[in-house]
Amino acid sequence: MDKNEQPAVMIVDDEEMVITSIRAFLRLETEYAVHGFTSPEDAARQLETNPVDVIVTDYLMPKMNGIQLLGKAKNLQPEAARVLLTGHADKQSAIQAINEIGLYQYLEKPWDNAQLLLVIQGAIERTRLLRTLRDKISELDAAHSNLKDVQTRLLRAFL
Amino acid sequence: MNDQPEPAVKPSRQDLLEQLESAHQRLAEAHKMASIGRLSAGIVHEINTPIGSIFSNNEVILRSLEVLKKLLAESCAASVAPSQEAMEIIETMATLAAVDKIACERISGVIRSLKTFSRVDDRDIRKACLEGIIRNTLKLTGTIFRRRIAVETHFEELPEIECYPGLLNQVFANLLVNAGQAIEGEGKITVTTRRENDFVHVSIADTGKGIKPEDRGRIFARGFTTKPIGEGTGLGLAITREIVEDTHGGSIDFESEPGMGTTFHVRLPITQTRKSSPAS
Repeated sequence: MDKNEQPAVMIVDDEEMVITSIRAFLRLETEYAVHGFTSPEDAARQLETNPVDVIVTDYLMPKMNGIQLLGKAKNLQPEAARVLLTGHADKQSAIQAINEIGLYQYLEKPWDNAQLLLVIQGAIERTRLLRTLRDKISELDAAHSNLKDVQTRLLRAFL
Repeated sequence: MNDQPEPAVKPSRQDLLEQLESAHQRLAEAHKMASIGRLSAGIVHEINTPIGSIFSNNEVILRSLEVLKKLLAESCAASVAPSQEAMEIIETMATLAAVDKIACERISGVIRSLKTFSRVDDRDIRKACLEGIIRNTLKLTGTIFRRRIAVETHFEELPEIECYPGLLNQVFANLLVNAGQAIEGEGKITVTTRRENDFVHVSIADTGKGIKPEDRGRIFARGFTTKPIGEGTGLGLAITREIVEDTHGGSIDFESEPGMGTTFHVRLPITQTRKSSPAS
């Protein structure tokens, strides 16, 4: 993903009203592309092909819970920040699973828009930095193997 | 002056019975409160989602109004029709207002069910719609497991039955919560009602782990539970049996297959021949 590209936010909640509310808020306050999904399975399929900067998901959803979705997201797009936005009832089980999937942030419903925005902004920045870092590491690796090549050739030429 | 202590008045059998009855009643009330406590986590979750939406929408609508005011002032000053952006903001506000209405209905539905479930003034025997009682209880218990358990209902048209509705709420809440807890992961609960001569028959079937053969003789005993600490008081089925059999003159039994599920059968008379006060 080009770092100048419009940031992409994925919102997953089986309650349509949550997606509608957050989408309206982000459209008003930001220039982000917002992708909403009421089905975590559809969201997971989308992640296979479309890169996003941050995934904000509910925990308790039918067929696949938020932790399972974020686990898939971690494999498919390791740099994308993972945020859990959940109700009180599932707090304990969610906290238990947080370490497994490396959560960027845990938020509770009812959420505060200002806090949600700060978290999403921070998450996007982190994702972009991680992607830049990954690119730089690849460049360094490439340069390193180039140098190794040159060194081998030099040694062959002179020894 | 007589130093002899006053002989203690030995309580009569009637007094002891009344004390026992009152203790039973307090225990049943305490258990009902514990049930509400257990349901509360689900209820909080159920309410927090629409509240989150309402808060967010309120903020967005207020901010949108500011932007809209500015855009309309600009259109007026230039004597042109409102811009596309202004029209889109109006559209968004209308959508959010519709979401708010749904959210408020959701919250008020949960509160209504909770009020019906927890009412303590429902002590008198009266004619009540059994389907209504079950549906109300399903709304509350569904808040705990609605995302992992499908609920199927088959309600036959039934006459109103003479009962203590407040107590029957508790019966069905106990059986439904038990059914939900017996299911690990995803599953189904099927609630069926039908008339059987002068009785109504309610069956609650789950696709859970079933009751072990060695536990079957003890499940209606006070203090027996297979649930972890904090999940069960060991009183639920004992109180359920008392309400169904002793208070209403009905019957309760079950069939269970380990690994396949359990079905509880509750039979309640349509008319009460005994018009006594509730035993618990």
